Amino acid sequence: MKRAAILLCILLAAAFAPMAARASGIDFTAQPGSIDIHALYNGTSLQVEGRVPEGSQVVLRFVGSSEDVRMKEKGKALGLLWMNMNTLHFGNVPKVCLIDSSAPMKDLGLAGAKLGLEGLADNISIDPPSADRKALLPELLLLKGQEGLFRQESSAVKLGEKHDGMQAFSAVLAIPSRLSPGTYSVEVFAVKDGVVQGQSAKPVDARLIGVPALMADLAFNHGAWYGILASIIAILGGLAIGLVFQSKGAH
Amino acid sequence: MSIPVELYLPIAGNSVNIAAVFGLGGAVGLLSGIFGVGGGFLMTPLLIMMGIPPTVAAASDSNQIVGASTSGTLAHLRLGNVDVKMGFLLLIGGVLGGTVGVEIIKVLRQMGNADFLINVTYVLMLGLVGGYMFIESLQAMRKAKAPAKNEPEKHVKSGAFARFTASLPWQMDFKRSGVRMSPLLPLFLGGLVGVLSAIMGVGGGFIMVPVMVYLLRMPMHVVVGTSLFQILFTCINVTVMQSVSNHTVDFVLALILLIGSSLGAQIGAKVGKKLHGEQLKILLASLVLVVMFKILYELIARPDVLLAYVGGH
Repeated sequence: MKRAAILLCILLAAAFAPMAARASGIDFTAQPGSIDIHALYNGTSLQVEGRVPEGSQVVLRFVGSSEDVRMKEKGKALGLLWMNMNTLHFGNVPKVCLIDSSAPMKDLGLAGAKLGLEGLADNISIDPPSADRKALLPELLLLKGQEGLFRQESSAVKLGEKHDGMQAFSAVLAIPSRLSPGTYSVEVFAVKDGVVQGQSAKPVDARLIGVPALMADLAFNHGAWYGILASIIAILGGLAIGLVFQSKGAH
Repeated sequence: MSIPVELYLPIAGNSVNIAAVFGLGGAVGLLSGIFGVGGGFLMTPLLIMMGIPPTVAAASDSNQIVGASTSGTLAHLRLGNVDVKMGFLLLIGGVLGGTVGVEIIKVLRQMGNADFLINVTYVLMLGLVGGYMFIESLQAMRKAKAPAKNEPEKHVKSGAFARFTASLPWQMDFKRSGVRMSPLLPLFLGGLVGVLSAIMGVGGGFIMVPVMVYLLRMPMHVVVGTSLFQILFTCINVTVMQSVSNHTVDFVLALILLIGSSLGAQIGAKVGKKLHGEQLKILLASLVLVVMFKILYELIARPDVLLAYVGGH
């Protein structure tokens, strides 16, 4: 009975989702709808197209699920040597956060500040609570930025034709190669006069296929066999190359 | 039509340029073949710079060292440069010492900042070993260059340490190395290196080589072959343990690295054969000193980012 009720709720949510998007005044598509991570995957492009209420600016975000991250804070010891000092736990850190907009985020007022990376940092928790948030959060954003996982730009989203009180927009979002499998979300925000007028989101699944999927299954579910196999292949590889060199030397 | 050069690594969760990884493996394998060191202290940071997470870089590197050291050991076995008996004794000592070292590092971490101690140990050890080797080899090379004096070679084997080693029980011959000593000595020294390498988080080849040269008095070419032989078994153990405990061995990454490094190790063994013992020592000493200065610089210079992931070397 309980399971049937949950199923009904999911079906209703799915049925009303497009209606909710229309109610927010935003209608968009994101292609491809899922990302296949195959052996030759090296990042991809996400084509986002849609319409927002006329006069709005568009903020586009590609966000991964949040995770807890354990890190070391570097500090100076004896006034001379840099070393890893305190252990910090950052909570609610998105795996990926790529932000693009039709106008610079700083020109979008309060909404821009809230939707940008700095706003995102406000939602991140740090343990211990005594840690210096003001100093540490920019460092975290810098580190994630260097890894290519966090990005904030205003070059990809282009505004198009106006029609019936709506304005078209399109963007090509570059998805990094450093992407782990999971569910990501493409979020579109319509911003006017520093206020979010409407928002809509669509999920994008990233999944391993082919050889990477087989490897991940073996590594994470059969670790001992994986390790033994890796060692045997390494030994055979080394022996094979050794034999090739021997035969060359013999001639 | 273009040839794909990027490959996705499912365990590392990133794609890499195959040619770059292959080249990196080849370069480090070359060093491994010449000097008999695993190369982990060079490979791991370089992989991290390529975008591989630290834990995956360290574990996958161990896997590739299995291949490189197999290839290198084979080459040195053919040349008669592996003292199997000595290698096994050092290995047993190393495993026992490594177990003790892991416990020491646990205690250090509980006490506070183990990383600081590790880095200082690195700088001191590498500075001492590299500096001593460099000066000693330089002096030996100058003597060799001095005009035709042709003095008979003196064996500087006297001294307290030599008297102590001669007094140990169960003296036996190590034919390949041309030395006679008690098995207790390689067992003890292997254990000591095992403790240090566990604390420093590396294979320990670059400590073991000077130990074999200066304390066990083995000839340089046999040292290189025996060191590779020992590293092979150590890294098989690490590969399996990391796969079981942390799931951090990226098989594909290791496979590309090992093709490059096995080729490099073969070339390295041939290059090493053409070099004289003193030249080999001075080159290894330079390498050790470069690594020492790099770590020292990292200790003194302000890092780009004041945060680091937990779990790297």
